[in-house]
Amino acid sequence: MSASAFVAVLSAGWAPVLGVQLQGGVEVVLRPANEVSEEQFERAIEIIRNRVDAIGVAEPDITRQGNQVVIQLPGVKDKQRAVDLVGQTAALEFRPVAGIYPAETNPADLGLSSESLALLTDIDSDSLTELTLSDIITDSNGDEDTVDSEVLFTDKAGAYVYFLNASELTGDAVENAAATFEGQWIVNVEFNDEGAAGFDRMASAYFGQQVAIALDGVVESSPTINAQEFGGTAVISGSFTEQEAKDLALVLRFGALPVEFEQDDVRTVSATLGDGTLRAGVIAGIVGLGLVALYMLFYYKLLGLVAVCSLAISGSILWSIIAWLGERQGLALTLAGATGIIVSIGVQVDSNIVYYERIKEEVRRGRAVRTAAEKTFSGAFSTIVWADLASLISAAVLYQLTTGTVRGFALYLGIATLIDIAVSYFFMRPLVVVIARKLVGEKPKRIGMSHIDAEVTQ
Amino acid sequence: MYRGDNKWDFMSACRRVAIGSAAVVLVCLIAILARGLNLGIEFEGGSVWEIPAKASVELETIENAALNAGLTDSRVQKITGGEDIFRVRAGSTSIEKENSIVSTLATAASVDAESISTRAVSASFGDQVAGKARRALAVFLVLISLYLTLRFEWRMALGALVALFHDLAITVGVYAIFQIEVTPATVVAFLTIMGYSLYDTIVVFDRASENKKSLSAKSRITYRNLANVSLNQVIMRSINTTITSVLPVVSLLVVGSLIMGATSLQEFAIALLVGLVAGAYSSLFVAMPIVTVLKEREPHWVAMQEAADIRGTEDTSSEAAALLAAGQYKRNVSPRPRKIGKKR
Repeated sequence: MSASAFVAVLSAGWAPVLGVQLQGGVEVVLRPANEVSEEQFERAIEIIRNRVDAIGVAEPDITRQGNQVVIQLPGVKDKQRAVDLVGQTAALEFRPVAGIYPAETNPADLGLSSESLALLTDIDSDSLTELTLSDIITDSNGDEDTVDSEVLFTDKAGAYVYFLNASELTGDAVENAAATFEGQWIVNVEFNDEGAAGFDRMASAYFGQQVAIALDGVVESSPTINAQEFGGTAVISGSFTEQEAKDLALVLRFGALPVEFEQDDVRTVSATLGDGTLRAGVIAGIVGLGLVALYMLFYYKLLGLVAVCSLAISGSILWSIIAWLGERQGLALTLAGATGIIVSIGVQVDSNIVYYERIKEEVRRGRAVRTAAEKTFSGAFSTIVWADLASLISAAVLYQLTTGTVRGFALYLGIATLIDIAVSYFFMRPLVVVIARKLVGEKPKRIGMSHIDAEVTQ
Repeated sequence: MYRGDNKWDFMSACRRVAIGSAAVVLVCLIAILARGLNLGIEFEGGSVWEIPAKASVELETIENAALNAGLTDSRVQKITGGEDIFRVRAGSTSIEKENSIVSTLATAASVDAESISTRAVSASFGDQVAGKARRALAVFLVLISLYLTLRFEWRMALGALVALFHDLAITVGVYAIFQIEVTPATVVAFLTIMGYSLYDTIVVFDRASENKKSLSAKSRITYRNLANVSLNQVIMRSINTTITSVLPVVSLLVVGSLIMGATSLQEFAIALLVGLVAGAYSSLFVAMPIVTVLKEREPHWVAMQEAADIRGTEDTSSEAAALLAAGQYKRNVSPRPRKIGKKR
């Protein structure tokens, strides 16, 4: 069964997903600086996820652990930018629209002077003629320095690029926003006192024009201003679906300041260092396994062979589970997890040793190897289960109460311990019994006991 | 020993050994209190940069570069083995300065900025990590004590906890004496050690309680001898298990760290190595003797001891073993009894 699972996993092309420490990349732990509501926290994580998707990381792992967000971006190229991106507070801005262009428009067609263009983008103005607008959109995630300048932002789908004036209002102005159905889906926006005045100022200046609501440099919506005075409330209507209206309300409510994060732990691992650690770990693991196998074969002879097979079986099950966790749950194998696995080699081998020592003891008392193998299993198995239960308790406690490194370790230790119990029962016992019956017969030497042993006690 | 029919008198030996154990634990405790632990940035907050070290670049160059980058309180180390790296550790720095620090260091070490690994931890986070670890440890100890009390009895729970304390004191002591940096990885290793130590102890206790069950009401055997026999029965298992657990760890230490130069693996391996050996030792020489001392105060075992004293000849382990074997098989002398006593 385990063999078929292993083959299935291999043929599906699944491989364990390696964590940041093992392949290089960025790991950031964030914690809200102030008390935040559950809804705000979830929304903030959603925004981080969107930002990470925007930089294109192959296997991002963004999880919430208690009051922290752990972001793992293995293999990410521009590490410093990634760190900047995930840590910043989301910026919601209201910017008057100066122009909307298809994304593939050439910057030259905007009719701007090269000086104005240079303000919009870092790209050398000489090469602008070969690019499209989508190549030069302003890199803004609420940077202070872009608030007062004109920018090029894209829409959500990336089909159009908006040429926007300086920010008139930020999300601080919004008191509340809700999606309601009044014949069609609309969004009611409520401003605070300061925001109401600012919004009216903008409305009178840009009456009849479009104003873009931009979050993190992406235009969420660009309604047309149809009044000069709003008195603190505004209605945004359009052909919204229910979902669109609710999303926009959420953006308005939390977009500006969902959560201000503190960067608790920021770590970048260069690809070479990660690679070195991985190689060292794998080689050390293989050498360690080899030594254990040799020792078991030397000491227990035929029974040692069973131990080696048990290890192989456990290993293939573990590989399947790790690969499954990586592919389906987005859970990466960390350095601590890998250590938990190396440690579990010891636990697995011990189960074999507990059983074999009992067999030898019975044989010394004059029992045949065959019957000894059958009779001693229940006693040995109960020892194995009781001892494994202690490991499981510690793994569960650690998993529940800790974060980060220790948690990863606890997870893999727990999995490996469960596998140990299953393999001991369903694999080790039948194989030992068969070997005792077919291959050992009445020759205790074949399980690593000298003849004298048996003769002395008989 | 290879044949496994050894009859060592653990209980007599452990009196002398106990003094040695106590002395070692005391030295370790003093070291922990006096020297303190060299805590990593994960617990104290701060920043670390790891830079590939080229042979042509001097340590001093990096130190100067760190100073130029505005790191006044930095500590630069060169870590050798496999690929050499410079490790710069400093207090907390602002995110804005990060880029310029990395590029200054990269230029000084004449390497690419991308090849530098960095880490910055806020001080409050460190407190939190330490707090969580302490809480997890407390919950763990309570649950384990409950588990051992329910599965065995409170005396064994106490013996196991003393053994745990012994192993942990020695391992943490080694970190204090040699001032090896303590990181969350090390904490994981400490926890692993507790797991192993407990596992070992449970195997010993399980055997002792199984042996006790197999005794008939009339069996005359002192607890001391019962413990001795049980320990002799599990010692080969203990030795073999320790060897097979230590082998991967030694390989992690030697191959992983020294030859390949992965320092993050070293953090685990040293603690594991010390703890594994201490754990195997303590389950035999600390946990069981404590249980024996406690058990000998029970009326039943006091009576047994008195009976043995009256008989004059002190039970030897081999006699006890014979008694136990007989008890286990309902005094059936046939080498292949038809009926086996119920065993757990």
